[in-house]
Amino acid sequence: MCGVNGIFAYRNAANDPSPGELAATRDRMAARGPDGVGEWWSECRRCALGHRRLAIQDPHPRANQPMVSDDGRFVVTFNGQIYNHPALRTELEAEGARYRTSCDTETLLHLYARRGPDMVKALRGMFAFAIWDVERRGLFLARDPYGIKPLYTCDDGWTFRFASQVKALLAGGAVSRDPEPAGVVGFHLFGSVPEPFSLYRDIRALPAGHSQWIDAAGPREPKPYVCLAAVLADGAAAPAPAHELNERVRAAAGESVAAHLLADVEVGVFLSAGVDSGAMLGLMRDAGAHDIRALTLSFEEYAGTAEDEAPLAAQAAARYGARHEIRRVGQHEFTADLPAILEAMDQPSIDGVNTWFVAKAAKEAGLKVALSGLGGDELLAGYPSFADLPAWRRRYGLMARLPGLGALARLTLQAVAPGLLRERPKAAGMLEHAGTWGGAYLLRRGLFLPHELAALMDEGEAREGLHRLGLTRRFAAALRPDPGSDVGRVCALESSFYLRTQLLRDADWAGLAHGVEIRPPLVDIALLRALASSLPAITPGAGKRALATAPRVALPSAISERAKTGFTVPTGAWMANAARRPNAPESLVRKGLASRGWSQLVFAGQANTAANSAGIAA
Amino acid sequence: MTRVLALVGQAWGPGGGGIAQYNRDFLCGLADRGCVDAIEVLPRSGPRRPETPAKIAQRRPRYAPPIYAAGALVRALSAKWDYVFCGHLFMAPLAAMVARLAGAKLVIQIHGVEAWTRPSILQRVAVDGADLVLSVSRHTRARLLDWSTIAPERVAVLPDTVDESFSPGDASVLRAAWGLTGARVLLTVGRMDGRERYKGHDRTIRALPALTQRWPELVYVVLGEGDDRARLERIARDEGVSEHVKFMGAVDHATLVDAYRLADAFVMPSTGEGFGIAYLEAMASGTPAIGLAAGGATDAMADGQLGVAAAESDYLERVKDALSGPRPAPQALSQAVRRRFGKAAFLAEQRCVLERLNG
Repeated sequence: MCGVNGIFAYRNAANDPSPGELAATRDRMAARGPDGVGEWWSECRRCALGHRRLAIQDPHPRANQPMVSDDGRFVVTFNGQIYNHPALRTELEAEGARYRTSCDTETLLHLYARRGPDMVKALRGMFAFAIWDVERRGLFLARDPYGIKPLYTCDDGWTFRFASQVKALLAGGAVSRDPEPAGVVGFHLFGSVPEPFSLYRDIRALPAGHSQWIDAAGPREPKPYVCLAAVLADGAAAPAPAHELNERVRAAAGESVAAHLLADVEVGVFLSAGVDSGAMLGLMRDAGAHDIRALTLSFEEYAGTAEDEAPLAAQAAARYGARHEIRRVGQHEFTADLPAILEAMDQPSIDGVNTWFVAKAAKEAGLKVALSGLGGDELLAGYPSFADLPAWRRRYGLMARLPGLGALARLTLQAVAPGLLRERPKAAGMLEHAGTWGGAYLLRRGLFLPHELAALMDEGEAREGLHRLGLTRRFAAALRPDPGSDVGRVCALESSFYLRTQLLRDADWAGLAHGVEIRPPLVDIALLRALASSLPAITPGAGKRALATAPRVALPSAISERAKTGFTVPTGAWMANAARRPNAPESLVRKGLASRGWSQLVFAGQANTAANSAGIAA
Repeated sequence: MTRVLALVGQAWGPGGGGIAQYNRDFLCGLADRGCVDAIEVLPRSGPRRPETPAKIAQRRPRYAPPIYAAGALVRALSAKWDYVFCGHLFMAPLAAMVARLAGAKLVIQIHGVEAWTRPSILQRVAVDGADLVLSVSRHTRARLLDWSTIAPERVAVLPDTVDESFSPGDASVLRAAWGLTGARVLLTVGRMDGRERYKGHDRTIRALPALTQRWPELVYVVLGEGDDRARLERIARDEGVSEHVKFMGAVDHATLVDAYRLADAFVMPSTGEGFGIAYLEAMASGTPAIGLAAGGATDAMADGQLGVAAAESDYLERVKDALSGPRPAPQALSQAVRRRFGKAAFLAEQRCVLERLNG
């Protein structure tokens, strides 16, 4: 895994990119790529690409980046992994491509040379890359279908910039820090910054599953090349028999895990006491991996209690013959690490602390790559949202569609029972939001509802942020075309919002802060395609049961049983304590971590680190 | 057959300021392109039948908004249009309606301060739905993106272009005529409008006591008219520098060209320039320009690579630097400006920017 960046002065009036800025942006991502550093400049000096390398495939320096094609026409800077690279290589070699490395980076060059922008459709993996076409003097950017890898862009009207991290773009010193109210409001609502926004007006994420072309005419609007809702809709149009679910999950998940083992370095696994990661371990063994190292995070506060995941994880490790390493962590270490966590956190997030510590453990253990069970709940209907959303829609949807009724009910409650409204805002929000799938999702995932924002931030900024965020429009876009089933709709929403903007972002910054690449085999477009026809028939619990029995030797029943009650982690409480101010209203602290205190802590951390980086750049 | 309907305040005809000039530059550039066949201009003011370049026809002006709007809507329906060009934000709601009626793509031009603060909801809706918005500077583009939800890729920067007539040359005749032989000259060109005090004439006048102490031969020449002149004259008196300030009023084009040439430095410490075409005219004439790092001026100064974009607190020091240092080679400065902002560069940039309309 790596860090990429680039500057393209596309407008005649713009100054040439500055070498100092390129290096400052690139080196702000040093933790993402400790194994190699490179830059490339076009002959005209109008385009420059930077790269920090975490060497995983073909670790030899010959595979360093930016990498130039043999004929000198294409130059790529790439962050990610292409899991079908061996198959693509065979195809491309049959078409005459000659490889000089064994690295997937080179596959991107050969593929782009032959298929142009359509090449992204052939890729399976997690990726964010830019290819400079020397002949056409243009830049091609692309990001993977789920948005596992980040790619942020900034256009000031003269010069286009991109990087793997928001903070890296700021560190270059040339990007405006003017705020983006949509990003701030999004953070308060969800606890993470919803794409394509960032906290800054001029920095946006290239949307997942999109590519973008930039030439002398400037950046064109990003174009989608794949759509999760469409994949789900296709599946729902040709549903698979329910009784085939287990077999299909076994085959597809097994195939995905096998594909995700592609590496020239050791691949470990993050093992909790849950079904998803346990199944990863079992399927790794089925795919031929042996002597697998499995890392488990165990919290000192829970030692000896039923909440401690270590004993169950140890059972799974024993079942699959893994080398189990348990890393104990407590609040003391959290407090000590907090400045580093805030420094590494690219965009404010109310989570990611678990990932920080498990990645830290991986680094201590000398692991560069680990599989994770991330995404299992989104794909296989593991969240309560899969039951709640359809139920709420049935119960309240009709009434909620009556215009104004919800708001009227809220205003009435505010007048007659303000306490109830404060204590149970979501119950009160049913009539206002449950009329649409997106509204119901907001009720499920939102830490706060839009009408509560006034208590957290300036009212004008909240209104402006909500307008710019355009939640209704964005929810509707995630459900276009209609995924065709309730499970599909919730899957599309969870994958496009919570998974993409919270879990995957956290896995990226928290993992790469330690130079550890986290691979989520359950977040995979090929896997989604394989299972899309089975999803509509999934009943509550059936998906996870199928995953638990997917390995040839099923997970210990203690794990499948325990999964029903779930686990808690103390990190939320640690963060709340760290952020808590003596006079913070109890209700805010209790309701979620996106309290003013925590967000201010995160914002302050963000501002400080950006200022420090700018100082280095200067 | 590609046809463009242009809604503008003013384009061809006598008078008209920078915006009319920009409209002419833009529409001429369009007409020069092989793929545009006809452009019809609907102005609010101007002569009845001005001379226009080939392919461009300017209709008679209609000033009153309702009559203008009615005329535009009638034109929208009476012919086939591919693009509607809107020359000013305040006409954007009408232009959006015209474009919709005509089934044409909408291009809106923004110039500066009018887009720096949130405009009316009708203007916002028009901009949000535009196919392309052209801004003369990066700053104005950023300010527009503060209040508009339009995709950033639909907002492009197309800078002002500097007229070919501004070039280095000998201005000793004008120097003598204005009694400036042997003087060091600071020059500002711009309206002295009570509503546009941001241009900073007063800032320069207040700096004169410190400057004339070191350069007693210094004269500050102000070109342009406006209702703020009396106030500025009073400030000069109060500061005791009246003798060092010459208000020369509005001048003809040839005099303006020579005025730029004779100055030792062009100064306009403005905080409200959408772009600041005068900086370009000065530098194209070989005269170094000093402005503030505020608004669109940083574009004209190319972030300091062409001219000085000073922090407000550093303004006096930067003027002193310009007066005490060697003057840059006029030809080299002029060419550097033309490379970025000359006519050829403008046409090339315009061609590029309009490509965005094709996706």
